[in-house]
Amino acid sequence: MIVELFFQSGGTLTALDVPLSSTPVTEVLTDAMDPGALARIVLDSLSKAGLYITIAVGLTLIFGLMGVLNFAHGSFAMYGAYIGGVIMVVAVTSGTGDLSRLVIFFGAAAFVLALMTVVGGAIEKKLIRPVYDRPPLFQILLTFGIVLVLDEAARIVVEWRGITPRSRWEGPFDTLPAFLSARYDVFGSTIRGIWLFEIAVGAVIVVGVYLFLTRTRYGLYIRAGSEDGEMAQALGIDIRQAFTLVFGVGTGLAAFAGVILMWDPRFGASVPLTIEALLIAFVIVIIGGLGTFKGTVVAGVLVGFIDGFTTWMLPNYDAVEFALVSAVLPGEWAIPMSSNLPEATMFLALVVVLIVRPQGLYGIEEVGGH
Amino acid sequence: MVEAEEGTDVAKAGEDRDDGLLSRYFRYHRVHLAVIAAFLVYPFIYSFLSTAPVVGSTFDLFLPDVETMVFVVVIGLFAMSFDFISGYTGYLSFGHALFYGIGAYFVIMAATGLVPFLSDETPYLLLILYGALFATGAGIVVGLVSFRLTGVYFAMLTLGFAELANIFIRDWSYLGAAPEAGITHGPGFSLGVPYVDGLQVHIGRLVGDSFHSFFGLFGMTEQIAQETVSFYAIGLLVVVCYFALQRIIHSPFGKVMVAIRENEERAKAVGYNTYWYKLGAFSISAFFAGIAGALAAGYRRGASPDNSFDLFVTADALLAAIIGGFGTLAGSLYGHLFHEMLDDFLSTESHGLARYLQGIIPDSVLEAEIVGELTLQVVINGLLAGRAELYLGLVFIFFVLVVPQGLLGTIRERIGGTAAENLPDHLRRYIRGLRK
Repeated sequence: MIVELFFQSGGTLTALDVPLSSTPVTEVLTDAMDPGALARIVLDSLSKAGLYITIAVGLTLIFGLMGVLNFAHGSFAMYGAYIGGVIMVVAVTSGTGDLSRLVIFFGAAAFVLALMTVVGGAIEKKLIRPVYDRPPLFQILLTFGIVLVLDEAARIVVEWRGITPRSRWEGPFDTLPAFLSARYDVFGSTIRGIWLFEIAVGAVIVVGVYLFLTRTRYGLYIRAGSEDGEMAQALGIDIRQAFTLVFGVGTGLAAFAGVILMWDPRFGASVPLTIEALLIAFVIVIIGGLGTFKGTVVAGVLVGFIDGFTTWMLPNYDAVEFALVSAVLPGEWAIPMSSNLPEATMFLALVVVLIVRPQGLYGIEEVGGH
Repeated sequence: MVEAEEGTDVAKAGEDRDDGLLSRYFRYHRVHLAVIAAFLVYPFIYSFLSTAPVVGSTFDLFLPDVETMVFVVVIGLFAMSFDFISGYTGYLSFGHALFYGIGAYFVIMAATGLVPFLSDETPYLLLILYGALFATGAGIVVGLVSFRLTGVYFAMLTLGFAELANIFIRDWSYLGAAPEAGITHGPGFSLGVPYVDGLQVHIGRLVGDSFHSFFGLFGMTEQIAQETVSFYAIGLLVVVCYFALQRIIHSPFGKVMVAIRENEERAKAVGYNTYWYKLGAFSISAFFAGIAGALAAGYRRGASPDNSFDLFVTADALLAAIIGGFGTLAGSLYGHLFHEMLDDFLSTESHGLARYLQGIIPDSVLEAEIVGELTLQVVINGLLAGRAELYLGLVFIFFVLVVPQGLLGTIRERIGGTAAENLPDHLRRYIRGLRK
């Protein structure tokens, strides 16, 4: 994957049946400049950026105000995906028109957002509030325990309804309006309609959360609470109520992201979506700097482009060769393409950013430490 | 019980006397010895009770089988290594599965001749050592970078490294045509003194070992005898590792680790270079995690990404450490014992609760519809068979909220010190109180 050790050692050591043909990285970059390839990469990346920001923004809000790293975030997204999926499958029949499908979708998304906001608020009040005075470790542990319970509960229900929890649920894909499930031709590359939809939703979320934080009273409370919780309390802000609200809204946003994931053929509703969404949210929030909205947006776009670019490379090349590495190290070194490349690159970005800039791109040094 | 009584008598007599080093050492470790004795006799108790007529199936339901106990001690060791760094220095090592996975993969790769410069005939014990040293090296590399960070960032960076390794191992074509499925070593391993055949035993399920017929004398079935041999051999190594870890915790080095957890700034101010202490503790922890991984892979005769490098392997250690008691070392073993017992109790196999209930409840009750199509059969299968995670999660949340000290931590709080030192005296006082 990263560097294929023993790759060229020959003899008994190689287990490769098909010799890989490696392409120099410069050639890959030239290929990416082709208008068709570029359009595909940019639109795919932006749609992923929109999705990832939607997933991560709730986590950022919660951490920014409360200092709680919410491990259950992915589970909430998974619940959103399943609940939204159920609504779509029940409400949409083959005769339903495209526009009404879209209306039903937004109705479902609004319902899930409201429902999970209430659920999140209740979880904060009953479970997380008692551990605020304890070391940060306990908040991680508690939310991790919630993951175990929520995932197993979801598995029980989903299996009982005869759906395989491990693989994505195909049912909701039939409820996509024709103009979203269609593929379009842009400079010779195929683009899915849902990508454009996701870019639009991502933009609305970014603008909406920005306005919420800067233009509303509660946004002011949140910013004040993140800056200095005690001082905000001394000035008469009910910080406990703000905590409940923010945890609820963060949960709701995660579930809302889940509803969109349910429609996207690249993801789909499944129980392992929990880990997938959680890891993406973690990577983005840590790269951007814990608790900063700006950092989350920038990191979301960055990770979106990493994902989009590596995904484009997958079918087009066998292995990519770095002239720089081959010049320094003896032998030939190449990165073979595998379906795990986007995820690996994402984590590589996380590790590199943390090494170079431990507090993340826009993070403040004290936040997230002991 | 008789043994414990005798022990306390000796202790009483010798409290003010200047005994020999050995007897003092022995007295200090009597609780440890009692626990080891309990683990030693367990296979016999299990074998006797689970094969007993009439009540056998009931005991089989509640008692974990011997193979489960093998994993209790192995994953228990892994959880201890996790507790060693996370519980004692306060740095949550969320990517601990990395070191466990390295130990596991190293052993299997070496045995199948995939490690250069290392013969595939190398004795298992040496492979375990090399694998653990490899894990230590990885620990040093990861630690050098990660200990520049603290808190959540440290946890996430270690997780990042582990996930990278996880993805890498799933794609490493060098391991064979299907690296995703993992690698296996069919013939299995013999644990024991290297190069002395008489002092080695086969671990894992393997037929025809001379020890098996020996245990057969006690009425054990062939399968239980095989598992018992592995359990003893692996258990011995785990005990050695436990005492090594415990020794380090009680050394001046261990005191600095606790100082870092309690107040790192102050530890620095006193003059300790905490960075090197943390790094040292982390690499020691990685060493023992590597041993645990090597043992698990040896017993399974294989390793796969899902049971070695996965985030949920770290989660097992985390659960064990919290339920047993964070920062208590031995607690992790009991925490994982609880985990495995619950798994075993709610297993989908024949010794699980679901099958047991289906056996004793008449079919007419099982098939009767409660609400709509919902029958008792469906409820049992849905809520009990293989659903240990659900109840484990609930127990875990309960412990985090209500019993943050964990099992052993709560006991320590009650008796005002470690169980090894204070439990015998405490028990003696308690029994005396009962007699009055």
